[in-house]
Amino acid sequence: MNYYIEPIARLMNELSRLPGIGGKTAQRLAFHIIDMPRDRVLDLTKAIIKAKEEVKYCKVCCNMTDRDVCAVCSSHSRDHSLICVVKDPRDVIAMEKMRDYNGVYHVLHGNISPMEGIGPDDIRIKELLHRLGSGEVKEVILATNPDVEGEATAIYLARLLKPMGIRVTRIAHGIPVGGDLEYADEVTLSKALEGRREI
Amino acid sequence: MLVLQLRELSLKNYRNYDNLELYFHSDLILFIGPNAQGKTNILESVFLSCTGRSHRTPRDRELIKLGEEEALIRTRVEKELGSSEISILLNMRDKKKVLINKTPAARLGELMGHLNSVLFSPDDLKLVRDGPAERRRFMDMELSQIRPRYFYYLQQYNRILTHRNNLLKEIQGKPSLASTLPVWDYQLAEAGSYIIQQRQLFSQSLQNIAREIHSRITNHSEALTMEYKSSIPFEEGSLQEIQEQFIRELETRHKDDIARGSTGRGCHRDDIHFKINGIDVRLFGSQGQKRTTVLSLKLSELEFMYKETGEYPLLLLDDALSELDRDRQKMLLEYIGKVQTFIALTDPTQIPDVQTSSRQVFRIQSGAAYPEESLSF
Repeated sequence: MNYYIEPIARLMNELSRLPGIGGKTAQRLAFHIIDMPRDRVLDLTKAIIKAKEEVKYCKVCCNMTDRDVCAVCSSHSRDHSLICVVKDPRDVIAMEKMRDYNGVYHVLHGNISPMEGIGPDDIRIKELLHRLGSGEVKEVILATNPDVEGEATAIYLARLLKPMGIRVTRIAHGIPVGGDLEYADEVTLSKALEGRREI
Repeated sequence: MLVLQLRELSLKNYRNYDNLELYFHSDLILFIGPNAQGKTNILESVFLSCTGRSHRTPRDRELIKLGEEEALIRTRVEKELGSSEISILLNMRDKKKVLINKTPAARLGELMGHLNSVLFSPDDLKLVRDGPAERRRFMDMELSQIRPRYFYYLQQYNRILTHRNNLLKEIQGKPSLASTLPVWDYQLAEAGSYIIQQRQLFSQSLQNIAREIHSRITNHSEALTMEYKSSIPFEEGSLQEIQEQFIRELETRHKDDIARGSTGRGCHRDDIHFKINGIDVRLFGSQGQKRTTVLSLKLSELEFMYKETGEYPLLLLDDALSELDRDRQKMLLEYIGKVQTFIALTDPTQIPDVQTSSRQVFRIQSGAAYPEESLSF
């Protein structure tokens, strides 16, 4: 039996295809949208379409931007000899929130993952190599996630870049700052122990 | 002295149980009943609480009562350091969830070490009779319980191996992808070298214990030795050295691996060889020798865990006594009193004649347990 009239059913169906939205949330959102003033509904649809149409990828670092070259890449106060390589645009936002990093980025849009059939040609590695050709870059920081796929991507890049005479570094893995040792899991703790350093 | 560890077990919609609550206050607990009533299911649920998995099936869905959505296994454990509660939630659709003291565990690995057990059933003959996969599972189960890091590296290893095997097949159609193979060699060797090192240490340590026990069981007529055989040839060395050897071994076989589309060398192909007086038990041992070898191994497991953790694990005996002669039974039962023991039996006349401070008997019938405190012996 169908409890929903067709337009609401269709809206709920579209909403529930979004990540993190299940049947109940879809229903709640759909009924909320119906209750909204017509202007606000139009604003929402316009915002969605505008975002979709205006967001493109920076010609230099492949991050999302609304111009040809993103704000970070076109800034003169940034250190263009230092590139931080990350998996996706959300990682750039995380790094920027830190406000401590003054280099530039490169967004790969994925990790090497044979299980999903993703090879080096399927992520933005060619674009990275192209940037390094100019000789301006002195150091590449590999900041992919510390999981199997992120590690594979980092190792692959390190092998590719080191012979070019560029300094290649990997971000450290370990205990979160402000965290308690007693709450760290065994694996993180043993990684932190491996990466210990003299003070 | 009481050696209790497990104080409560409650099952909801687990196998053939709707709702079962058992309280233990003895160090010998007997479950008696005809076949197919649910004795093994109880032991299985205890084992599951220790390791996060069943010893009978890798598919959690089979553990949920037919027609139900969810099953719950809850245990309360009391140790010198205090008591803890472990709950495992199985769901038809979802991954299983583990709660330790009502707090969800982020990973299954956190469960390891809260409660350890050694399970002994007639099925264990597979350990000496069947192929190397059984013996790898034996090492993995054991090491995972005492070393959370081992469990983590094992999971990593399997994931990396799946990636590498997928890649090998992809290379057949697109040879340029071969440039990424060293990445997976490196990662496989990193996780694998730790696994190899731990397995090597484990088999040495277990052999030292097993040799003595086996000699006692056989009236000093048989000498049991164990030899860890890795497909990665290595001299005893540092982790670094094993890792380098591992990578070399993978590198020299790239062509073969690509041709067959899978990884020919690594810890997923390791084995342990058991020998009695220098002769391979699996190939040339008699049925009796195989049984005795398994018994020696199981008793060694108990001692090994004691050595590693300072506590004896639970001993779970699933119809294991009927397979052994009187002398061997006696050896096994010597442990009762030192370790909390759970025995499943079909025949009440087989109730072992041992001195313990206390014992509990439950009669198991079609998914229910009836305590029989007054059963005469």
